[in-house]
Amino acid sequence: MTDKKISKNDIAELLADWNREFTVFTPKLESDNVSKMVEWDGKDTDFLKWYRNTLVPCKTLFLPSMEEMFRFEKRAEGHYHLELPSVEKQKRLIFGIRPCDAKALTILDMTFEDTYQDPYYLSKRTNTILIGIGCTNPYDSCFCTALDGNPSNPTDVDLFFTDIGDEFVIETTTEAGNTLMSKSKHLQEVNQTDETRTREAREASRKKIIRRLDTEHLRGKLSTIFENKDYWEGIAAKCISCGICTLFCPTCHCFDISDEMLKGKGRRLRSLDSCSFPQYTKMPTENPRGEKWRRVRNRVCHKYVFYPINFGVIACTGCGRCIRLCPVNWDINQVLNDLPDRV
Amino acid sequence: MRGITDISHRKGFPYQGNVYLPHMAVIKKVVDETDDTKSFHFSFKDEKLQREFTFEPGQFAEYSVFGIGESPFCISSSPTERDHLECTVRRVGRVTNALHRLGVGAEIGFRGPYGNSFPLDFLRGKSLVFVAGGIGLVALRSLIRYVMDNRNEYKKIDIIYGARRPSDLCFRYDLDTWEKSETVDIITTVDKGDSDWKGREGFVPQVLEQVAPSTENAVAVVCGPPVMIRLTFPVLEKLGFTPERIITTLEKRMKCGIGKCGRCNIGNLYVCRDGPVFTYEQIRNFISKEF
Repeated sequence: MTDKKISKNDIAELLADWNREFTVFTPKLESDNVSKMVEWDGKDTDFLKWYRNTLVPCKTLFLPSMEEMFRFEKRAEGHYHLELPSVEKQKRLIFGIRPCDAKALTILDMTFEDTYQDPYYLSKRTNTILIGIGCTNPYDSCFCTALDGNPSNPTDVDLFFTDIGDEFVIETTTEAGNTLMSKSKHLQEVNQTDETRTREAREASRKKIIRRLDTEHLRGKLSTIFENKDYWEGIAAKCISCGICTLFCPTCHCFDISDEMLKGKGRRLRSLDSCSFPQYTKMPTENPRGEKWRRVRNRVCHKYVFYPINFGVIACTGCGRCIRLCPVNWDINQVLNDLPDRV
Repeated sequence: MRGITDISHRKGFPYQGNVYLPHMAVIKKVVDETDDTKSFHFSFKDEKLQREFTFEPGQFAEYSVFGIGESPFCISSSPTERDHLECTVRRVGRVTNALHRLGVGAEIGFRGPYGNSFPLDFLRGKSLVFVAGGIGLVALRSLIRYVMDNRNEYKKIDIIYGARRPSDLCFRYDLDTWEKSETVDIITTVDKGDSDWKGREGFVPQVLEQVAPSTENAVAVVCGPPVMIRLTFPVLEKLGFTPERIITTLEKRMKCGIGKCGRCNIGNLYVCRDGPVFTYEQIRNFISKEF
């Protein structure tokens, strides 16, 4: 499928066309200074001037912070009626997802498809089209290139837009993307200059990533130092278990299941949780990870050792949100780079 | 590192194809085991499901008290009992307290069977040494009853069971049956007896060392409070059991029960998906209190 391009001035009309078939989501800077994906209001195009990621990761559109699983009703004392949840049918289109967030979704897929299918997450995934946009000016905290990523990586989305100034060059990578392109207007042909500008833009943004991380011997180094309590207590010393890193991480998926009921009508909810919280693993007689250093160790090793053992991929895409948002400047990149070669 | 306790053929029974929807089950009988533990006998409202439902000893399920929440408990009956299922629950928190307030006829939710199971193929033809402490006997009961129902497939059977006080001993009716049986040797002990107690006194790991069951062609199966399990492993090794011949079943705080919510992991293994049955060989690196 040959690439096409579109002028930035025509984006609003393109989105309006798509809005007839899908619910369109675009990045927006909310009044409390938090940027996230919201339903497109029909005219906003401020996000076209953005060059890097939203604060809130796109995972929240697939794994919301609170989600109803099903409802039930008390018919008599000790007798309940279960209401089956309705099938998710809403077709959605996310415009402006960055490569790190898109890759994170493919990492999450592995968990939610493994052995048992999670209907809530997977139905949202199959009903959503992803339109990626390459970053032109990554943050200081970004390190996607160290984890097999790239600020212009087009592979985990349906259509990928590269910013070349006044225009976007569009690449398709999936059937769904192809179909969408064939129905869209305002698309122009791409010429030699455009292709050169695309290559240059991608190279330029990749060069702006200044952080490095050696992932080659990471698993070995972490496994060797795993039982060293003193080391981990030092690493965990300044962490305050606030959980911000987990709540804004695009690959974190820990959740809680709880019931609520009022006047005989109730529902079961799934809500996002955090392995950093002290009571996360609490049992009646003991708490396996009551000590902070165990929780910090578990978080690091879950992403860089356990997930690779189970699924063959590091559960981190280098988006850098945890580094930017941590209130005590705990830096995972630095922790991993400083791991001793020998114990 | 899935080892001998892996079963790749899991028979699942998701309600309406949704793994988070529970089946409705009705409580048929409630048995008081100790002053804070009860056994619930229940069967599915859907009779077809009750006829077709099957599981393997060692598996657990997520039980719902609607409006309060869900909790994981072992299925403590044997799959050879076809007309009902059993779970044994100690009253420790919100869901378990609510469960204890339910009586015969009340409806609960059931999601399962989840987890792996005791490696029956590996155990067949061998001698079995069961070591259980307190409410840990619940997790082994399904296997013990299964083995007793298929007695001629196994060689010698030893059970060493202990609790803190005589009133903490569970499944007295089973203990009586096993004591009277000539095909199994059972030793019951308490940490501290009372005026009526005429049996042994002593902690389970110590009694185990005194009794010193034979390790010839034998496998040890252990369950109890974490501290008891940790103290029993070295004793078993000293007696001559190798780590692949020591099997245990672990317990963790769980929510989804299907390896997605991330809570119950020991390293890269999820207790709900790769366990709860493990060999000592699989978890020995995490012996430092994480389980």
